[in-house]
Amino acid sequence: MMDSHLSAGSAPETVERRPVVVEEGALAEWLRSGMCVALGGLATSCHAMVAVRHMIRRGLRDLTVIGSAVGGLDVDLLIGAGCVRKVISPYVGAEALAPIGPFFRAAAERGEIEVWECDEGQYYAGLQAAAQMLPFMPCRGGVGTSYPELNPDLKLFTDPVRRQTLLAVPALEPDVALLHAAHADAYGNVQFVGTGYADRLLWRAATRTLVQVERIVPNEEIRRSPERTALLAHGVMRAPFGAHPFSSPGFYIEDREHIRELVEAGRVFSKIGDRGPFEVYLDRYIHRPETHIDYLETVGLRRLLSLHEY
Amino acid sequence: MPGLSNPCTLPAATASIKELMATFLSRDMLDGEEIFVGTNLPVIRAGALLAHLHHGPNMRVMVAHTRTNLFHTPVMEHFELLTDWRAGRWAEAYFNDNEIVLYQKSRRDSVFFVGALQIDPHGNSNLIGLAGEGARFRMRGPGAIATTTNASHVRRFYLYVNEHSPRVFVERCDFVSTVGWGRGGAGARRALGLPGGGPRYCVTPLAILDFEEQSKRLRLRSVHPGIAVEQVVANTGFPLIVPERVPVTEAPTPEELDILRRRVDPQGLLRR
Repeated sequence: MMDSHLSAGSAPETVERRPVVVEEGALAEWLRSGMCVALGGLATSCHAMVAVRHMIRRGLRDLTVIGSAVGGLDVDLLIGAGCVRKVISPYVGAEALAPIGPFFRAAAERGEIEVWECDEGQYYAGLQAAAQMLPFMPCRGGVGTSYPELNPDLKLFTDPVRRQTLLAVPALEPDVALLHAAHADAYGNVQFVGTGYADRLLWRAATRTLVQVERIVPNEEIRRSPERTALLAHGVMRAPFGAHPFSSPGFYIEDREHIRELVEAGRVFSKIGDRGPFEVYLDRYIHRPETHIDYLETVGLRRLLSLHEY
Repeated sequence: MPGLSNPCTLPAATASIKELMATFLSRDMLDGEEIFVGTNLPVIRAGALLAHLHHGPNMRVMVAHTRTNLFHTPVMEHFELLTDWRAGRWAEAYFNDNEIVLYQKSRRDSVFFVGALQIDPHGNSNLIGLAGEGARFRMRGPGAIATTTNASHVRRFYLYVNEHSPRVFVERCDFVSTVGWGRGGAGARRALGLPGGGPRYCVTPLAILDFEEQSKRLRLRSVHPGIAVEQVVANTGFPLIVPERVPVTEAPTPEELDILRRRVDPQGLLRR
């Protein structure tokens, strides 16, 4: 007897290619408390803010957040809103706009979150291990430093080939990677303007990947330059200005005024323990707007259109 | 070893301390080297670009994620953020962050820069934070970014601090995020299996420090104009090796200052 996954004659009447477009209302199916969530982008650019605001609005708890290698205030916002149990990111902040994320710093100093201490080399080694389905990846950066002491998951070992002392970095495997990109078609073919930072590695390491895009384009447009397709998403969500207040290469720059408002609210909390301004921020930009469109209306068209690259 | 002679000098007062620091860094970089600026600190960026425009037409300059050559470019405007896509206008190549960090082989030819909250006598440094009593941190610092891994592999690196005080220069770092010369001695890094050449100079607002050849302990190399040797010693939290003769840090030449002010830093960030 022939052994086949599809026995003769069993195909349904109509066989259609299935789009992977995710509506904002369906985000709840992707995200729940206790998950390990990777956030793409870098520093002040391309964070999946529609998904981040969704997680805060829903009051998700106990998340393990793998921020980007230069994690932005997306991570800080989640910490401030009380969604996070553990952070895996070599940095959380916004460079000159906030040298260190105020909620991250306060929570790390008070021991309210667990910080998986690492530098970028160890961070990427862990993602690389997950992507290659290996239990760990060796890494030299960190030998001779305090990292193995601060983070017991990083284990010094003698390599069996050259007898060198190296660090074993365990695989970092996100349940879901949340990314923001320029455009995709309805079938999850994602293309960036710019390099996409390390988003492709997050995709390779994660179990599933959801990508917000500025535009969903016809499949024909993707086929015009297939070499530019950077990753194949499990879900794509239409999210114009979806990285706001951060930048999206090819579309808009960061909204410094908005970022300052957020940072200032964080500073008031970290300096004098007053959550008032941050609660006002959360209420205005996250809890009141029920959808991404409501959020964009709150920010205002005038502001959004002022964030041009020229 | 890298280093250029200094043919003629302006009166030191005409250059700011930051311009002086950038010029020192510039003169220590050779044509053909890869200068890995990483995050966009103004003095380091200016030092790298000055070297490139002054004597490094074949340098590979990596600012943020770009790889570029700007030798024929009239002015490089400062861009503040690492991810500013508009920096692409000066780029010849643009790399993914993970490729830059994971693939260290090309770092063997790189010159790199490391900032610090604390530096110990052997140039080991700390960006992680300051230890608390009963808690891990009194102050959680920004973290190492990629300095741990890059400094393990690069040809040489420079320690750079904006403050020269006993709280920065400490006998022992609370945490070590970047290895300098470990527990000391010229073989310290080899013993740890770190292939890179280690820290060469430490550049501060008061002075330039180098490492004594045998012990690899920090030594005063030069003091900036108007700074007394005693002032540097008093602001260092451990015994600094002080040679008999301590020169004044060489000022920029008119040509260097002209490149800095006209092409590298027209906004005057180094004069603020």
